[in-house]
Amino acid sequence: MPTCWNRSGTRKNRRSGLWVLVAALLLSGVVLAQQIYLPPAPAPPAEYGKVVLNSHAARSPGPVVFQHWLHRSKFTCRLCHVDIGFAMTANGTGVTQESIRQGYHCGACHDGKRVVEGNVVFAACQGDQYVPACDRCHAAGKRGVRKYDYHSYTAKLPKFNFGPDWMKAEERGLIKPADELVGFAPARPRMPLREDFGITTGLHWVRPVTFSHQKHTVWNGCELCHPEIFATAKKSDVQYTMYSNIEGHHCGACHLKVAFPLNNCAMCHLHAPTWAQQ
Amino acid sequence: MNRMLRATVVVCLLAGFMGPGAVLCAAQTGSHSTTPPAAQAPAREAWQKEFDRICSRTQEAMSFSEEELASLIQRCDALAPQIEKLDETRRKVYLGRLHMCRGLYAYVLESKRNQKK
Repeated sequence: MPTCWNRSGTRKNRRSGLWVLVAALLLSGVVLAQQIYLPPAPAPPAEYGKVVLNSHAARSPGPVVFQHWLHRSKFTCRLCHVDIGFAMTANGTGVTQESIRQGYHCGACHDGKRVVEGNVVFAACQGDQYVPACDRCHAAGKRGVRKYDYHSYTAKLPKFNFGPDWMKAEERGLIKPADELVGFAPARPRMPLREDFGITTGLHWVRPVTFSHQKHTVWNGCELCHPEIFATAKKSDVQYTMYSNIEGHHCGACHLKVAFPLNNCAMCHLHAPTWAQQ
Repeated sequence: MNRMLRATVVVCLLAGFMGPGAVLCAAQTGSHSTTPPAAQAPAREAWQKEFDRICSRTQEAMSFSEEELASLIQRCDALAPQIEKLDETRRKVYLGRLHMCRGLYAYVLESKRNQKK
């Protein structure tokens, strides 16, 4: 009986040793993968794409909080980042109260006259006098000052695990992003459809990427991506890596901050395993 | 969706809603533009008209010949000094946009030249 007990105990020890080894290997694998390949966890959908603009004006009512989710439901990326001239990087635009008053940057729409989706867009702060309406933009740290709430605004939009699926929302006619700011920028002819193309991956177990040229050009035009983000005009010279994406270059220029996050592997690597989407 | 869109357009046209009604149609069919009141549109200066002519064509860049692209780049270069004389805000906004237009035309030109090699 004691012999039997000892034998069983040894088996138990062996088994638990094996489990410890497996767990250690898994853990080190996860840590290694996070160090090497995995993009940072995105912010919660309501916060994803939030931009805080610190105001340096002497009598400023506080920093401005810009919500991408609201604006992207109404306008294409191209309209704001090309026609209006908002830079893609922090502090790159140089927005000032003066430029807004002159009708540029935020003032291109927020002038109290322009009509979007049948509503007059409220005017940005005019003058140094504080009025409660200032808080609609200068909203940092203030509760209940905004007109739109993320959860109620996006309640009817199709979603995936990282927030609204804007592509599906547009396909279903739930959003109709405007691409022209009449009187501000010239009208453009509709873009001829560009073919989608495949991007092969360096690792055999990673599915290739199908790049939707059509979707990207409809929302971004050409000059938002070329040549600033994708500079090489010779196809054979193009080499994107997940490293560069995670550092905010190439796809990461948008897909880390505003467009669906890189963590959503299957959106680009079609038919990627579901575990990779978590 | 297309059927609905077509139906809306047909109904609007049949009802003879041209003129003020056309605006209604545009709103219903999801016009992809934002509108200022007509009286607010400011007159455009000469440099601005040239800017519009150059930069409104970026969507068609791939269909231009090498000569056309080279000419557009040249026009961008000729326009830049005029924009540099403007006030700070307009200089910042329009130089940035001109830089993007020029960059794209140069990119497409290079791409076309590479394809020939």
